[in-house]
Amino acid sequence: MTGQASEHRTRVVIVGGGTAGWMTAAALVRRLPHACTVRLVESTEIGIVGVGEATLPHLRAFIEMLGIDEAEFMRTTQATYKLGIEFRDFGRIGERYLHPFGSFGTPLNGVPFHHYWLRMRAAGRQDSFFDYSIANVMAATKRFAPPSVDTGSILSSYAYAYQFDATLFAPYLRDYALARGAVRTEGKVVAVERDAASGDVAALALESGERIEGDLFVDCSGFRALLIGESLHSDWEDWSRWLPCDRAVAMPCASPTGGIEPLTRATAMGAGWRWRIPLRHRVGNGYVYSSAHIGDDEAAAALTAAVEGEPLADPRLLRFRAGRRTRSWHGNVVAIGLASGFLEPLESTSLYLAQGAIEQLVALFPIGGRVADADRDEFNEVVDWEYDRIRDFLILHYHATSRTDSAFWDHVRTMAVPDSLQEKIELFQVAGRLVRYTRGLFLEPSWLAVFLGQGIVPASWDQRAEAVGEGPLSAALDRLRGRIAEAVDRLPDHAGFLRGPAWGGAA
Amino acid sequence: MIRRDRAIRSICVVGTGIVGLSAGLAFARALPGIEVTLIESPADPAALADRSPATLPTIHLFHAAIGLDELDLIRSEIARHRLGVRFEGWPPGKPAWSHVFGDHGLPVDRIPFHQLWRRLEAAGKARPYHLYSAAGALAEAGKFVHPSEDPASPFSHFLYGLSLDPQAYRRRLAEAAAGLPRFAATGWQVEPRADGGMAALALDGGQRVEADLFVDCTGPKAGLLTAVGARFEPWDQWLPGGRIVFTEAASAAPLPVDLIRAGSDGWTAEYRLPSRTLHLSMHDFSAPDGERAGAAFRPGRRPEPWIRNVLALGDAAVALDPLHGAPLHLAQAMILRAIDLLPGRDCHPLEIAEFNRRTDQEVLRILDFQTLFYLRSGRTEPFWARIAEAAPPPGLGRTLEQFARRGRLPFFEEETFGDQAWAAALLGLGLRPDAIDPVAGGPALGPVADHSAALAARLQATVARFPDYPRLLDRLRATRRRS
Repeated sequence: MTGQASEHRTRVVIVGGGTAGWMTAAALVRRLPHACTVRLVESTEIGIVGVGEATLPHLRAFIEMLGIDEAEFMRTTQATYKLGIEFRDFGRIGERYLHPFGSFGTPLNGVPFHHYWLRMRAAGRQDSFFDYSIANVMAATKRFAPPSVDTGSILSSYAYAYQFDATLFAPYLRDYALARGAVRTEGKVVAVERDAASGDVAALALESGERIEGDLFVDCSGFRALLIGESLHSDWEDWSRWLPCDRAVAMPCASPTGGIEPLTRATAMGAGWRWRIPLRHRVGNGYVYSSAHIGDDEAAAALTAAVEGEPLADPRLLRFRAGRRTRSWHGNVVAIGLASGFLEPLESTSLYLAQGAIEQLVALFPIGGRVADADRDEFNEVVDWEYDRIRDFLILHYHATSRTDSAFWDHVRTMAVPDSLQEKIELFQVAGRLVRYTRGLFLEPSWLAVFLGQGIVPASWDQRAEAVGEGPLSAALDRLRGRIAEAVDRLPDHAGFLRGPAWGGAA
Repeated sequence: MIRRDRAIRSICVVGTGIVGLSAGLAFARALPGIEVTLIESPADPAALADRSPATLPTIHLFHAAIGLDELDLIRSEIARHRLGVRFEGWPPGKPAWSHVFGDHGLPVDRIPFHQLWRRLEAAGKARPYHLYSAAGALAEAGKFVHPSEDPASPFSHFLYGLSLDPQAYRRRLAEAAAGLPRFAATGWQVEPRADGGMAALALDGGQRVEADLFVDCTGPKAGLLTAVGARFEPWDQWLPGGRIVFTEAASAAPLPVDLIRAGSDGWTAEYRLPSRTLHLSMHDFSAPDGERAGAAFRPGRRPEPWIRNVLALGDAAVALDPLHGAPLHLAQAMILRAIDLLPGRDCHPLEIAEFNRRTDQEVLRILDFQTLFYLRSGRTEPFWARIAEAAPPPGLGRTLEQFARRGRLPFFEEETFGDQAWAAALLGLGLRPDAIDPVAGGPALGPVADHSAALAARLQATVARFPDYPRLLDRLRATRRRS
């Protein structure tokens, strides 16, 4: 046993000072201050993409791990609360549903709730499955309060995330990391020096002439993928045949009057979809589209026409492609964030993927400064299945549609999907069963939301749901709706909650 | 109604050992409208899920599902509490150690305790790992208490199973299943269906039993599942198998653990049951009397335990090593899963595939856990050496590599033995990480040593005040039946 490498601290060099870069730096100085030094190279000439304004509940654990005060973090980043993502016009024009952070109904006699709902629906009951999600009912009435910690309470059946200004988040984390020993170097990387024998990156040469050596390099340079792509040429697995959207045009606008919705909205458009993310001080908007199906100018015009407040900036164009590196950790270079892969923000997964990769990097951090195959293989395996599972879930949003109004929707409706997704869809169609897993993103309630929200309804259900008579079951469903309505009725308005004491404002 | 057209109406369970009766009871209770028929079939002495006394903490969930009450089983002299296993001579030349269920130590700054314990050990400040767990402290003293309901108590974070007297337990299950139609048969034949499934079971007595679903609980020979095309995948390279002998002795002072003693040619287990002590020995075929006594046990599985309308449970599906109480646990877990995923009577291939997929993940991880004990037994005699030289199954290989490198335990879906159980097993068998994980190297050792020592001392002192196990059992016997 060699013990920790206290004599040699691993020199970590992070390239890129966007959200992923500063998240990585913050996590390393928090978790491994005794085992590494952290240096981040960024150039103010290179802008940050600043995607990821909408997050998932997992980010709360990251904030907590850093020991950051949530209210302070939310004030600084102009954050609002988010209870889920509302999808409009995906399954069919005119339809909407919420993919909530939370569950639907409660199991009865050990049988998941949706089987009872399916049975009553077949018996002629006309209500929506989404009426049994408390997060959905809260979001629809623009209410918010943190979930109850009492697991017996109906108010414990949801979670929340944040919607914040990503251009404020990275600087906030930068201050955190610098205060705890990270070193920032302003400069542009002009050359990457590699070890002739191992192929590992040895040092970076900056425009200023400075040379920065390191043991481990983290590529957070975004789409450019300065190290993992330009230098190491790590293979790229392309997923555009399933996820054809390859551009986005973004444009913030002024907040409308009438409260702040605690949700991110995705509205299907003729050649993609449009996001709407309400912050405290503005609303973020963007149109994600397939350039094979619509021109840039036309997309920008469609976005401008759709936003509901006064535009606060000119439309800004982003280009990308769906896919991931076959190896996000290659040699002594770990790609985190957009350098590692890209999935469109339909389910707000960008920061989650960066966070997950950072957590794996911490858990598999090189021992004694040396990268081992075992660490790298573990890292890549976990990162890969996170990407692959999200990929399938995103494809489902396009594929589960009856839209025939445009070439884009015709394409995604009729395309062949990955076998792993096809099996999940078919299994659900038979009797409402879900392919089970317990780790990672998008567990059973998420799949239920998109399946049922986009018109994939099982042909049968768990036969144990037949054990209760229709009368008592109908009464039980009515009672549950009543309990949800009553509980939500007592909750404060979201905008009001944001002005309240929890947010540092006047009550 | 689509659903009612698909619903399974009848289930025929073949085999009335513990596994078959458990299945019959659980199906009948969960699915009141279904006709469940039991077919008696001669017991196979090599069916370890029907014969081993040990069970895991999941037994309570299953008992809740079939309406059995723990206190009633204790008072009826059918069961005792089981904190885990006490290993002697495994590894050889080391002090005995206990593998128990539940938390060990306290994490610091999200760092698992087993990582910190390794640092304490390197500094010469560690006591045996199990003494940092409530269940381990109890096992050390031969005592038992129920876990505290106060989450702040160090005695709230442990689990326990039951040791069951197999014959008495089977009788109790049979009483509970008395209302189910039952046929006795000396033999039977499978009547195939055109699609490759089973149409009916033709009994030697002349009856013909039709059902939508047939459940094969006939033991390792798997008469039904084999008839619909199952193949056997042996695990000879990972689990030794051999000659299993059960012997009986007079009852002895109760102990809340199994006593397992490894020897040069195999191992023996001592289960102190309420009215007798049961000894199980597993030896290779060359052992004295090996040719004459006991049942031949060959570990392995049928990779698809559910084929069309035939579901195999217990040793008919998977022949697990009797260590740890895994065989009955797996049978019960598969019963509950079959109920949760019960297909329509067309047994749609995707429904069956999802059952088999989850079961496969679960089974392979149990195999990993059991193989660990043989692969790294530390023993060199022929019975042990053959396995010690094998390449591990892939999942275990990954666990061993990550643990050896930095004490990390990789995640697996459908894991029966969680991180706590894996860490206790790896450390108990004498395995140590080559290096301290960088994150685990962070906290200053002094405070960690102080609070860990305080925890172990508190556990020990509290256990000293608990009543002896025989006295606790007396108290339980004197309590009135719970309503």
